[in-house]
Amino acid sequence: MNLSLKRMLGLAMIAGGLSAGAAQAQTTLQFYFPVAVGGPITKIVDGMVADFEKAHPAIKVKSIYAGSYSDTLTKVLTAIKGGDVPQVSVILSTDMYTLIDEDAIVPIESLLKTDDDKKWLAGFYPGFMENSRTGGKTWGVPFQRSTIVMYWNKDAFKEAGLDPEKPPQTWAELVSMGQKLTKRDDKGNVTQWGIQIPSSGFPYWLFQALTTQNDVRLMNEAGTKTNYDDPKVVEALQFWVDLSRKLKIHPPGIVDWGTTPKDFFERKVAIMWTTTGNLTNVRANAKFPFGVAMMPANKRRGSPTGGGNFYVFKKSTPEQQAASLVFMKWMTSPEQAAKWGIATGYVAVSPAAFETEAMKAYVKDFPPAAVARDQLQYAWAELSTHENQRVTKALNDGLQAALTGAKTPAAAMKDAQAEAERILKPYR
Amino acid sequence: MSGAAANPLGGSGRLGLLLESAGAWLLGLIWAAPLLYAIWTAFHGAEFAARLQLAAPLTLENFVKAWDAAPFARYFLNSFILVTSILAAQLVLSTLAAFAFARFAFVGRDVMFALVLVQLMIMPDILIVENYRTMRALALPDTILGIGLPYMASAFGIFLLRQTFKGVPRELDEAARVEGCTLLGLLWKVYVPLAKPVYIAFGLVSVSFHWNNFLWPLIITNSVTTRPVTVGLSVFASTDQGIDWSIITAATLMTSGPLLIAFLLFQRQFVQSFMRAGIR
Repeated sequence: MNLSLKRMLGLAMIAGGLSAGAAQAQTTLQFYFPVAVGGPITKIVDGMVADFEKAHPAIKVKSIYAGSYSDTLTKVLTAIKGGDVPQVSVILSTDMYTLIDEDAIVPIESLLKTDDDKKWLAGFYPGFMENSRTGGKTWGVPFQRSTIVMYWNKDAFKEAGLDPEKPPQTWAELVSMGQKLTKRDDKGNVTQWGIQIPSSGFPYWLFQALTTQNDVRLMNEAGTKTNYDDPKVVEALQFWVDLSRKLKIHPPGIVDWGTTPKDFFERKVAIMWTTTGNLTNVRANAKFPFGVAMMPANKRRGSPTGGGNFYVFKKSTPEQQAASLVFMKWMTSPEQAAKWGIATGYVAVSPAAFETEAMKAYVKDFPPAAVARDQLQYAWAELSTHENQRVTKALNDGLQAALTGAKTPAAAMKDAQAEAERILKPYR
Repeated sequence: MSGAAANPLGGSGRLGLLLESAGAWLLGLIWAAPLLYAIWTAFHGAEFAARLQLAAPLTLENFVKAWDAAPFARYFLNSFILVTSILAAQLVLSTLAAFAFARFAFVGRDVMFALVLVQLMIMPDILIVENYRTMRALALPDTILGIGLPYMASAFGIFLLRQTFKGVPRELDEAARVEGCTLLGLLWKVYVPLAKPVYIAFGLVSVSFHWNNFLWPLIITNSVTTRPVTVGLSVFASTDQGIDWSIITAATLMTSGPLLIAFLLFQRQFVQSFMRAGIR
């Protein structure tokens, strides 16, 4: 990278000498991108990057696909410690504190020069900015962001004698409808579950939908304290556990995240909660009419936000940082955000993107695309603290222990809180 | 296992054998189950991924889709170059080092061998950052050589070969010398042929380890032209949009296929090598 940059600078200097400084040096950006959404995504990103380079010939972007979100974080942190840095990367919004603690990233405000820049940063949905700000500064720019939504099988609703156009609006309705939707064969084996909330990998995220609906936050804004043992948190967990263990309308034990859409396609489950990032997948593969709705409310509606932000790294040159800003502004511009949202199902990150012709036409043709956006007003920041991996794991372990019946919800959350306290104490 | 053979009650020897065979079959089936599932899923349409119907139509479509989704031909080439270059370098370096450790007396030999042994105790993953720095200083990130270089001097290979060379009878060594064999000739004509089972066993372990290695290649490479199949495969393991098992298993079978086939072909030799090379 360094070599090619030097060469380019050299060439540009020669060119500059010839044309009396008229030519600008070409700036190269390394852009790390996690492939969180399946094969074709790399082609979409490549296409967007190529369009960007066409519009900005002075900037060259080298996109580097770095596997899953956690692989990308590992790769970025190793590269930084090894003295080699990317200039821009998409990483989970929840890794903000980790990146700050590593002193790896710069606040976005430090890049802003013009009023137009400031207007751009103010243009995102506030729900997405909750996970991008701390201590009065913005550290990440929303890009592939999502919330959890509820998908339901309209055919299954009809068969159960329910109105296929009316998904459950409250937890109580979810239970009563779930009971009607759960089908058993003669031997009592379940052939179709009422509801499925996946709990493998990152159960905390799905759980946060329940806690948000129960009107309780899992952590403070500074990312230094968790509230895992709050009675309302325990209540939310009790509800989740009851769905499977007491009411028996939710598959028992740990439910796999990755195969949940598949269970939905195969009619093993009538209602599923999963990311809006799945919308395009469900639309392509569900062989029955389906609906998408906000998740039901208990004390309030709610969902955590999720997904990845752009970060700009500290060790890049001022020219590269300026170029990074240009790149991020372009990638999150209304037209590109709309294109990205339509291609993937992620929520376009700004209200302006929903005002573009392309997005308007898409929403008109396919109204579920707007559900996640409408739910955003009830959305809270995804669980994120200092030492994020370890603090989150404490909660994940507690949740899985409760779901498998190894611990009661109250005991599981008490243990999780104790573990989180131990880890977070040095940060207060 | 030897418990049954040493059973003092002679009559129950058959029962012991039966139990042993049953146990072996059970373990074998448990071991093979994921592989069998992968084969089933890869050759059937997505709708049969979780349904076992013998009459389900076979298809190669999953392989076509997986092959098209990523430049696998290039990944295979990269992996092939990677494992062969590592193995070649390991064999040469380990042989020479092991010979020196086994048959020469020189100052600091034991200290140096102790250092080699220490290297055996260290997980390579701990050294990722340091290795990255070294590769960067050599301007090797994002090259196949950069993936392989940190592994080319294998402590395990040196240790294994030194033990084997030490076991070669002195008489053979001396006879060859009397016949006027040069030092390298001695190594080549006496020691290496006698260590053949060890070479095969070591080669198998090395190739399968580096074929399957993921984290280091992921970190040190950035582009399609250098990435091995494991890193290419990780594109399919992305979970945000749900998992299509049919395509994942097809891609997995493709990437592990060469090793599986090689193992089946040379199975007898491998097993014998392991038995003969068994830890002394």
